[in-house]
Amino acid sequence: MLSCREVVQDADQLLAGELTWQRRMSLQMHVLMCHHCRRYIKQLRLLIRGIPFMHAKASDDEVDQVMAHICSGDNSEH
Amino acid sequence: MDKDSLEQLKLGDQKLFSELVRDHHHALIALATPIVGRSEAEEVVQNAWVKAYKAIANFEGKSALRTWLSRIVINEAKMQLRSRKRELLFADMGDAHENHDALTDRFSDKGRWKHSPTNWHVDSPDALLMSSDLARCLERLLAEIPANQRAMLEMRDASGLPFDEICNELSISASNARVLLHRARAALFELVDRYQETGEC
Repeated sequence: MLSCREVVQDADQLLAGELTWQRRMSLQMHVLMCHHCRRYIKQLRLLIRGIPFMHAKASDDEVDQVMAHICSGDNSEH
Repeated sequence: MDKDSLEQLKLGDQKLFSELVRDHHHALIALATPIVGRSEAEEVVQNAWVKAYKAIANFEGKSALRTWLSRIVINEAKMQLRSRKRELLFADMGDAHENHDALTDRFSDKGRWKHSPTNWHVDSPDALLMSSDLARCLERLLAEIPANQRAMLEMRDASGLPFDEICNELSISASNARVLLHRARAALFELVDRYQETGEC
């Protein structure tokens, strides 16, 4: 029987579909009986999906600065 | 972005390109930071935007826009390093296994949960990391974790780059890359869990 620590260490590979069939079965057996690990995996999945949104949007000033840089690059080529 | 907007974007619509900049600029700076350092990351991303604008007509939609932009930023960052004859910022940071796992202290000697995760009161991924208090803590955490862990997190989870491609770009083994990604996610999990439990981080 896997320990909770081993489940947490393997959870990334479980979610990426990279575990062997045997290891996946062992992990799923543990998760069926352990609600802490079930919760960990559910929330890890949520966290991974949330990471692309972790950086705030740029401000108007920052966007203007980038667009001005692009336009100056365009002009310098003509 | 819907299909019609994408076609307009590829035709050079500046307003739509501005929205692209608004949505991805900070994420791209965060991606470049562990490669070239914070002080040069903005310059790298500015130059990458110029290249992206010129190349957007050729975007084929085989990957997400964020992933496509990320590849341009990584190429630009590596060019910058070459031009200054510098190594990757974290090239000499040693083995992935030397760094601490943020969740280690949560387990007993027998490997059972001593301090199990709290129940998070958020269901949508986009809302999870959006609170302004948490965002400040998150920024601090990203600045504190080792650059090689941050690079893995930004490249794999924030930019959606394939695992093999990241290993090639960073010249690291798959097993080291997995450890780095696990450590970075563990640090982030610990932060969010503490925030969900106490309202502080």
